[in-house]
Amino acid sequence: MILRFKRLISQFFFLFLTNLNFKIGDVFSGVKTGLCYPFFYCHACPSASAACPLRAIEIGVYNGKWNWKFILYPLLIIGTVGILTGRAICGWACPIGLLQRGTAKVPQKLKKKYPVIKKIGQHKIEPYLRYIKYIVFISLVIITPIFIGFMFTDICPVGYLVGTIPISVFNPGGFTPNSFFYIALVVFILFLVLIFTIERGWCRYFCPIGAMFAPFNKVSMLHVHVNKDECVHCNLCANACPMGIDVPNMNRDPECILCGKCIEACPKDAISYERWRYK
Amino acid sequence: MKKIAAVQIALLVLVAGAGGAMLMYTDVYDNIHDTIVSTLCLSCIKLDPVSSLEFIFETGNGEEHSDFVLENLTTGIIFIEYRSDVCTACDIMAPTIKDIFDLSFEKEDTIYKLVDYNGSTVHFYHINLDHATKIQEDSFPIYDKDNRRGVPMFVVITVKYNRGPIDPCYTAAYGTLGIDSEEERRDFVIDMINDGIKLYEQNYEGYKYH
Repeated sequence: MILRFKRLISQFFFLFLTNLNFKIGDVFSGVKTGLCYPFFYCHACPSASAACPLRAIEIGVYNGKWNWKFILYPLLIIGTVGILTGRAICGWACPIGLLQRGTAKVPQKLKKKYPVIKKIGQHKIEPYLRYIKYIVFISLVIITPIFIGFMFTDICPVGYLVGTIPISVFNPGGFTPNSFFYIALVVFILFLVLIFTIERGWCRYFCPIGAMFAPFNKVSMLHVHVNKDECVHCNLCANACPMGIDVPNMNRDPECILCGKCIEACPKDAISYERWRYK
Repeated sequence: MKKIAAVQIALLVLVAGAGGAMLMYTDVYDNIHDTIVSTLCLSCIKLDPVSSLEFIFETGNGEEHSDFVLENLTTGIIFIEYRSDVCTACDIMAPTIKDIFDLSFEKEDTIYKLVDYNGSTVHFYHINLDHATKIQEDSFPIYDKDNRRGVPMFVVITVKYNRGPIDPCYTAAYGTLGIDSEEERRDFVIDMINDGIKLYEQNYEGYKYH
């Protein structure tokens, strides 16, 4: 089976698992667990079956009252998945990754139509922009909850997408906007602009969970390997990469989401997944 | 075997082992379930539930009223403020509630006070669901009028004529009440309390606690 279809099946399977808290009459009453998602999804979604790891960390550090259980638990879940698969979870399981897969055609077309967008993507400052996600994680998930009680999840665009919007739609007239609504709306619009102009823009620059997973790519058991002896530097892989990685020269790149697009694009079969093989 | 394989296996054993041990030997699973997954964070959804302030008899989950409520209703109305430790909307509302009842307490406290409110008795409960007793925790879905599962939730319980007997009835409001101004929020809560007291004064003589 072609890799992209396997990935699509996997993404829909995880989307289903993520939303197990639904009801079918008296037959199925939904599943709510005490687990944390190892990817980006909001527990405020009416059908969510687990907790957002960022919220757990925020609760753990809130107002400087260190609740280590809430801090360690999501980190250990992410750590375990990260050591096993690296950022493959971003490419194969994250529902927000699936959403960006759906919107990817737009930035791809924009890049072809407006060369300036391509130039921005290749600008020397672009690699540094990827550090924003680490800044978002440290500042909005850890520092502001400690010192001013402001939390990332209060303005999270994903919470807006899978929580605020469905709740408003399914309960017409049942809810009214609160003080966070309009700030979150602006953030959500910027999120939409981002994912419709830059392929995987959220994962590249802003995702705090991606920031947590990225270092694990350096030690993960599963990774993408480029056979440099067979590589002819045609750059087809780099052009196919949704994360904008210089694939021929990469070695366990923290940005790689192991989506496998480069593997499919390589005419020389010089790129492959490598797992549990140590030569 | 390369050095990296040893590092990977060591890390996996350490991290997965610690995670598994946390799941098995601590209450973190239940805490996450109760605090995050089962209780809706109203600031997370950026919405406040709209609630009618009509006093109703039917409880949120169909269960009987809590015993501590039924007993206290013999002497006055009951006001309950439900909150959790980490809840921005609760922090916004806390000063308003403290000011109305002229009380001071920490958010982690779970307290009960008998308050003289303009000459009427009010049984005041501040219930932090992260530190509540089982009975207090169980009372939350009973008074969750619209099944919103959200905090903060403010409940006034009083008594009312129920086609024959005088029975306990209640109303609930959620979040920052859908109001931006602190003064209007204060007026809203005061109206809730006053409505409860009015009903109580009209009906309390017929109320019997069994």
